[in-house]
Amino acid sequence: MISTRFVLKRLLLLVPVLVGVASLVFAVLHLSPGDPALTIAGERASEEFVQQVRESLGLNDPIWVQYGRFLANAAQFEFGESFIIQRNTSVREVLTNKLPVTLELAIYGQLIGIFLGIPLGILSAVKQDSFTDHTTRIGALAGISVPIFWSGPLLILLFAQTLGWLPTSGRISVLYNVEAIRVTGLVTVDTLLAGEWEMFVSAARHMILPASVIGIYSMALISRMMRSSMLEVIRQDYMRTARAKGQGAKITVLKHGFRNAMIPVITVIGIQFGGLLGGAVLTETVFAIGGIGTLLVEAIKVGDYPIVQGTVLTFAFLFTLVNLGVDITYSILDPRIEQ
Amino acid sequence: MSTAPDLPADERPPLTEQASVRLHLVGTALVAGVAVVTVALVGATLLGDLTAAIDTAFALGSLVFGFGLLGWSSAVALGRGIEAMQEHLDTHTGWTEPDARRAMARILGFGLGVMAGATLVGSFVYGSVL
Amino acid sequence: MSTDTKTTTKSTVDAKERGLVDRFTASPFVSRLLSNRLALAGITIIVAMVLIAIYARLFVDLDVITQSQLGTNPNRAAPSLDFPFGTDGQARDILPRVAYGAWYAMLFGTVTVAASTTLGVSLGIIAAYYSDVTDNVIMRTMDVLLAFPSLLLALALVAIFPDDLGLWRAVAALTLVYTPRFARVVRGAALTVLENEYIDATVALGAADPRVLARHVLPNCLAPITVQSTLNFGLAIIDLAALSFLGFGAEAGTPSWGLMLSNGVSQGLLTGVWWWSFFPGFFLALTVLGFNLLGDGMRDALDPRMREAVD
Repeated sequence: MISTRFVLKRLLLLVPVLVGVASLVFAVLHLSPGDPALTIAGERASEEFVQQVRESLGLNDPIWVQYGRFLANAAQFEFGESFIIQRNTSVREVLTNKLPVTLELAIYGQLIGIFLGIPLGILSAVKQDSFTDHTTRIGALAGISVPIFWSGPLLILLFAQTLGWLPTSGRISVLYNVEAIRVTGLVTVDTLLAGEWEMFVSAARHMILPASVIGIYSMALISRMMRSSMLEVIRQDYMRTARAKGQGAKITVLKHGFRNAMIPVITVIGIQFGGLLGGAVLTETVFAIGGIGTLLVEAIKVGDYPIVQGTVLTFAFLFTLVNLGVDITYSILDPRIEQ
Repeated sequence: MSTAPDLPADERPPLTEQASVRLHLVGTALVAGVAVVTVALVGATLLGDLTAAIDTAFALGSLVFGFGLLGWSSAVALGRGIEAMQEHLDTHTGWTEPDARRAMARILGFGLGVMAGATLVGSFVYGSVL
Repeated sequence: MSTDTKTTTKSTVDAKERGLVDRFTASPFVSRLLSNRLALAGITIIVAMVLIAIYARLFVDLDVITQSQLGTNPNRAAPSLDFPFGTDGQARDILPRVAYGAWYAMLFGTVTVAASTTLGVSLGIIAAYYSDVTDNVIMRTMDVLLAFPSLLLALALVAIFPDDLGLWRAVAALTLVYTPRFARVVRGAALTVLENEYIDATVALGAADPRVLARHVLPNCLAPITVQSTLNFGLAIIDLAALSFLGFGAEAGTPSWGLMLSNGVSQGLLTGVWWWSFFPGFFLALTVLGFNLLGDGMRDALDPRMREAVD
C-alpha cells in the first residue's frame, strides 16, 4: 500500500530541514552578542588564552569556511563537547541520555491528547449545540487558558501532596536504579523489558500527571478539529439518507464517516506536535524531569552553544520524523492519495 | 559553498521544463542577493570595518537561506496538514502549498545569493590582505 | 447604554458625539457581542483586572513588596485574615504582590500586543495592496513563522537579545512571534475591502496608494484587528509569564506572576506551600480566560467574511 519510494522521498526531506535549521542556528550564533571563546575561557582568562581558544574553535577562519565546517559537523551530529553544563562530555552523549526522557513524555502526552480529543470531538459533533457540545467547547477553551505551569503545580499539590495518590516529581522512585536496566531509555519500556513489574508501576505513576498536563493542550485542538471534520461528514448526503432509515443504519454510517473524518485530524496531529514539544519544556521544569527541554533552557541561559545547537537540531529532527509518520498514516487512511 | 545543499529543483526529478522554471525562480533571486550584498559591502568599505561587515552579511545571508530552506521543506512536508487545518478551523487565507514553495524558493535563493556575494567579496579582501 | 442623557444642548460637538455612540451601539457587531453572555463575563473579568492593576500601581509601594520583610511579617505564613494570600519565603505579603502582577501583565501585555499589531498591520496591508510577488513573499514568510511552536521560537529569539533588558527582552521576542498573526488577519480583511468596487473608483480618480490604504482600507479592517488583538492579549500574558517562569524575563524579586509561580514550583511544591503558586496562577489564568472569552465572543460577532482570517 505504501511504496518505499514514497517513504524515501519523505525521509529525504530531512536533509533540507536539517540544513535549514543548521543555517538558522549558525546565523543566530554569529549575530547574537557575546563571544563564545570568551565564554569558554572564562571572563578572567588572559588575552592569550582567549586567542588560543578562538584558534582551536576555528573562529579565526573566514566565515564561509566556518559555515561549511558547521554544516559538515551537523550532518554527522557532531557538535563537540558541552563546555558548561556537563564539561568535557560530548553533546551527542548528553543528548542520548536526555532525549528519551522528553520522547517518553511527548509520546504519552500525545496519546492522551488523541484518545481524549477524538471521542470528545465526535461527541460534540453528534450532539451539536447540545449541553454536552457547549461544555466540551468551553472546557477546551478553559484548558487553553490555564497555563501548564499552573495546572501542573495544582495537580501536584492535590494528587501528590494532599491526597498522596501520585508521586510529586521525577520519573521513577529513587529507590530503583533504572540505569542498570537501561535499554531504550524510556523508563516505562525498560522496566517492562526487564520484567520488573514494581518498577514499571512506579514509572507509570510518575508519568500520569506530566503526561496529562501536556495532553490537555493537544486534546483541545484535536477535539476542535474532530468536531468540525465530523460535522462536515455528517452533513453529507449519504449520512442524511442513513439517518432517515433509522438508528441502526446511522451507527453503521457513523463508523464509515469516522474514517473519513479522521483524515484531516491526522494531518493536524503532525503540526501540533511542535506545540507539544514547546509544552514539554514547561512540563519538564514543573515536574523536575530533566529532558532536552530543560536542557535547552539551561543551555541558552548559560550560553552553552554546542548544547543549544544539538538540542535545536534534535527538536527539528523529531518534528520531521513525526510528520513522516503522519504522512504514512494518512496514505493508509486515504487510498486516493498519489504516492 | 560546496557544502550548500542541492537546490530544491533536484529534489523531485521533474520534466526539464519544470526544472527550468524553478531554476529561473531561484536564479533571479540569487542574482538579486549577490547584487544587494555587493552594493552593501561596497558601502561598508567606505565606512571602515569591512571584515566585520562581511561576517555579518554572510550570517544574515545564512539566516535568510536557512529560513527559506526550512520554509520550503515545511511547505512540502506539512502542506496538506496546513490546508486541512485552515479548512476546518475557519481560517481560509488562500494558503496553498505551491504558492508557499515558490515564495520560499525566492527567499532561499536570495539568501544563497547574499552568502555567495559575501564569499566573493570576502575572498577578494582576504586575498589582498594576506 | 442610553445616549439621551446629555443631548439637551444643541452644540454640534454633542450631536457628533451622539452620532458616534449611536453608531457604536447600533452596529451589528457590538449588539451581537453584548448579547453574548460569555463575552460579557470576559469583559467583567478584564475590567476587574484593569482596576486591580491601576489600584496596585497607584497605592502599592513597590519597594515594600520587592524587598525582604523578614522580621516585620511572619515568614511562610498560610493565608489568614491579616495576610489573605499568605506570605512568601521572604515574609512578603503575597496579596499586594499578586495585585502588582496584574499591572505588569497589563502593561507588558499591552506593549507586546500593540507592537505586534503595528508591525503586523503594516506588513499585512502592504501584502494585500501590492499583491503578487511582494504579497507571496511576505505572507509565506509569515506562514513559516506561524508554523513554529510559539514558545520555542520565543526562546530562540530571546537568546538573540542582550539579557540586561529584563522583561523587555521577552516583550521584543514575543512581538516578533505574534506579528505574523496580525499580518495574516489584516491581509485577509484588506483583500475583502479591496474587492469592493469603490476602492477601484478611488484609485481611478488618482488617489495615491498610501492615502487609499489609510483612508479606505485600514478603517474597514479595524474590527478583525481588534478581535485578533484581544485573542492575542491572553496568549501574550501566558507567554510573558512562561518566559519569566523559565528565567528569561523579570529579574528576581519582581512581583510578576510568572516569577512568583516559578518560585512556588521550585521551593513550595515539595513542602506543600500551596498558596505560593495558587494565587498568582489563579489570577493569571482568570485574566487569560477573560481575554479568551471576550475574543471568542467578538470572533463570533464578526462579519463572517472577516471571520475567516482570525484565529
